[in-house]
Amino acid sequence: MSAALIRAERAYGPLVVALGGLTLAATFASLAIGYVHLDVFAALNDVAHGRASLPALVLVELRLPRAALGCAVGFSLGLTGAAMQGLLRNPLADPGVVGVSGGAALGAVVVFYSGLAGAFSLALPLGGVAGAVVAALALYALVGRGAGTMTLILAGVTINSFAGALTALALNLSPNPYAAFEIMFWLMGSLVDRSLPQLWLALPLMLAGWALLLSSAPALDALTLGEDTATSLGFDLKRLRLTLVAGSALAVGGAVAVTGAIGFVGLVVPHLLRPFVGHRPGRLLLVSGFGGAIVLLGADIAVRLLPIHPELRLGVVTALIGAPFLLSLIDRMRREA
Amino acid sequence: MPWSPALAGEDDGKPRRLVSIAMCMDELILRLADRDAIASVTWLSQDRRNANMAQAAKGLPANNGLAEEALSYHPDLTLAGSFTERSTVALLREVGARVVEFGVPETFDGVRRQIREVAALIGEPERGEALVADIDSGLARIPVDANRPPLGAIILRPNGFTVGPGSLVDEILRRAGMANLAARLDLGPYQQVPLERLATLDADVLIVDSDRFAAPSLATEALDHPIVAALSRRMKVVSLPSRLWTCAGPTLVDAVQTLAAATAEVRAREGRN
Repeated sequence: MSAALIRAERAYGPLVVALGGLTLAATFASLAIGYVHLDVFAALNDVAHGRASLPALVLVELRLPRAALGCAVGFSLGLTGAAMQGLLRNPLADPGVVGVSGGAALGAVVVFYSGLAGAFSLALPLGGVAGAVVAALALYALVGRGAGTMTLILAGVTINSFAGALTALALNLSPNPYAAFEIMFWLMGSLVDRSLPQLWLALPLMLAGWALLLSSAPALDALTLGEDTATSLGFDLKRLRLTLVAGSALAVGGAVAVTGAIGFVGLVVPHLLRPFVGHRPGRLLLVSGFGGAIVLLGADIAVRLLPIHPELRLGVVTALIGAPFLLSLIDRMRREA
Repeated sequence: MPWSPALAGEDDGKPRRLVSIAMCMDELILRLADRDAIASVTWLSQDRRNANMAQAAKGLPANNGLAEEALSYHPDLTLAGSFTERSTVALLREVGARVVEFGVPETFDGVRRQIREVAALIGEPERGEALVADIDSGLARIPVDANRPPLGAIILRPNGFTVGPGSLVDEILRRAGMANLAARLDLGPYQQVPLERLATLDADVLIVDSDRFAAPSLATEALDHPIVAALSRRMKVVSLPSRLWTCAGPTLVDAVQTLAAATAEVRAREGRN
């Protein structure tokens, strides 16, 4: 074992604690920072004493769902990115790049604008999950096990543009005159004026997805030794793939259904954290979840502080950081090849 | 189809083939013109959820506000709004069509002027005067309590839009005993406001757009955000269809009436406390 690996081995515990602490801090910052000055502690005090003061209402009905969704959606995106990169053994796999987020947006759009979401409340996030599953299965069918970078990116481009076009079509078919103008939310994502009911809808599905993805850590580590070795170690690879597809679909589908698709978080975060966990994909999962939450909360605080109105879509901010990052990654991979 | 004005069979100078390509113009010609003088109105006016004269508009040919469509009715007068696509108006004029544009009135005086101008254009000045008199007598019946300070009010429309100062809505609020708190927000060219800024204005009255379409959208979902229900325990929430106060017409009186009733209710409650 090399010195770097031993260091990473020792540093894993403290790293998890540090990133977890940062995630909590960022969530609190997201509660405290907004468009109006709000004394969070006074507001919390009011909430604790059951006083429906204006600051208490703003904190509970507006700031809390926004911060909690920022945290949970970021965690979902970072974790899913790390899991997909482990499964496909390709650092370019990311729910946004490969089209899983786009599929989730399409599923949510179809359910929302058809009015099905009004029929039973879980329909909306389940629509997102269904769209994500279809996109993930399409990707897996196209790419297969040995995920060549070229095939992966082309498959992602195809799924993304097809899902985007169908999303636009679904919005245009809606008889509601506002619908056609709402594609930006679904393709670029936003946390503007999210509500507690939306948090309660999406969170259970995201939690289930996290559990599935995190439980795959040992199998993902074994997979780095090659499929045959992993199988001989007793890991059922078929089951691993199913678990990861289901987990990704639950985490991303639930997230996208209430915030729209937000790109690049799942791409950038695992890549930055990989050296700190000794390049072990299993250990990358949890820390990438925390990293994703920190990045998304940071982006959401930034859009509220920037003097740009109406507020920038979150996907715009993450793309401004993520797209150059993806380009440099592709460039490096090409030179190494 | 080459454009040619309809041959005027009558000699009274009244346009016989009116086409409107703006929703507020639809409403005025539906109120002021003879039905058989109207060749087409916009599709928007046929939906009773956003138009006051949907009943009357039903059965009339509908257009989507496109130049080509307008021309296909061989109009002798086309009425457009100042928000109508510029290229559409330019195109219509280029082929020699008679197009008159009207803006959105910003005061009750502007409303009276617009009604009279449209009425004169379509050769129905008496009906225009009658409509103005109708509005004025309606307004006169609503009591004004000039001695009390106005209540603070803020408007929430789809997509989190509010209505800024210097608009007809502003004057309607004043007439109903309210002051538009949007003046306190630094709105800039976009009147889109995050809900937390609206909520923390601590208004006495929150006026929420009550229009809902049959199909859902994110835009109107914002109007049903749980904070609106929570705020209704702290302030008076008035549900008002925006069609009542969007265009020049007698429904403006209904808007003032609804809001004045809300003002009276809040004051009565304050009086008790």
